[in-house]
Amino acid sequence: MRLVLLFLSALAVALPVAAASRLKGQAAPDFVLKSLSGENVRLSEFRGQVVLINFWASWAGPSRMEMPRLEKISATYRSNGFVLLGVNMDDTESSASNFATAYGITYPLLLDLRKEVVRRYAVETVPVTVLIDRSGTVRYVHKDYRIGAEQTYVAEIRTLLKE
Amino acid sequence: MSHSRPTAQLPRAVIPRGSWILPLAAAMALTTALASGSVAAATAATDPTTSTAAAPTDTPATDAAAATAPDASAPAAADAAPNADAAASGAPPEEFRSLDSDVQDLKKEVLDLNKDLFVLEEELLFPANTQVAVYVSLDVGTFFNVDSVTLKVDNKEVANYLYTAREAEALLKGGVHRIFIGNLKVGKHELVAFFSGKGPHERDYKRGATLNFEKGVGAKYLELKISDRLRKLQPEFIIKEWE
Repeated sequence: MRLVLLFLSALAVALPVAAASRLKGQAAPDFVLKSLSGENVRLSEFRGQVVLINFWASWAGPSRMEMPRLEKISATYRSNGFVLLGVNMDDTESSASNFATAYGITYPLLLDLRKEVVRRYAVETVPVTVLIDRSGTVRYVHKDYRIGAEQTYVAEIRTLLKE
Repeated sequence: MSHSRPTAQLPRAVIPRGSWILPLAAAMALTTALASGSVAAATAATDPTTSTAAAPTDTPATDAAAATAPDASAPAAADAAPNADAAASGAPPEEFRSLDSDVQDLKKEVLDLNKDLFVLEEELLFPANTQVAVYVSLDVGTFFNVDSVTLKVDNKEVANYLYTAREAEALLKGGVHRIFIGNLKVGKHELVAFFSGKGPHERDYKRGATLNFEKGVGAKYLELKISDRLRKLQPEFIIKEWE
């Protein structure tokens, strides 16, 4: 009985990682979403550039810590063929808009009100960060955020930009 | 042992490792190359790892398993010599040319097969007797910048497409977008299309258009045409049936 419980708890921890991580090495699922600025943004139009997709929500504490750091990364590398997209998981546009204004986020924030992209990328926790190379293949997937993780992102972005 | 096909097509694995036939054939090739006065060719002929030397010697070696060794090495030497001369003069050997052309032919076959499979897949998924396809086109576009188009067939949403700036520009330049392809039974159906975008004076614009059509035997093609009505300075939304 104890073994069964231990196995089930290990499975409960492993599954969220496995869900999004199974995209590693696969072609990134294409999508088109409306941004907060009103433009429609399609992922495949960034083929040839390194793309970081960050799934976030205004109610998630780690997102509040992570996004200002992502803003700095975007400002540093955007002129080198790097694109950062934030996919919002809130239920209303106003929540996302208020958050973006409060934290001074300037990279494109996309609204996934129907949660279609969230389902396609098998996102089960918040935040999740996905790095896509120039050919459109998912190369790195990071679940959750801990302080200092942005340094790993920078190293991976630099690796992909050099390819 | 008899071979039903040319030995040139047999895989290298057929040749046993450490066979004494290869060094003998290589030696014969070297002798012939030296006799012809080409030093560079002799180096290539004696290197057992290069394909130019190995290929002509491998294939006769398989025959030598059934025939005599000197007979195998003689054609190997004869084959190696002209190839060695060709390599010395800088021109690609005949074998390389034929291999390259074989690869190109294979690539073309694969592409043709891929195209045929794509067409077959469409025909299987959307057979002509039930197929319905809806296209979007934009004419001029002075009074309307398309943002999204939503389609409902028989009150059921079947398509909802967001157009990026690039895609809208492609439509303006004459592109036609197939927004929906599906299957419908023979009989009467209703198509409702909703267009969202920016109208005159950059105002948000949302309009709808409806078409009741008869689906007969044979594929049905419908076009959602967005054009400018100059008389009223407003965009016009029409659904056309292609004959």
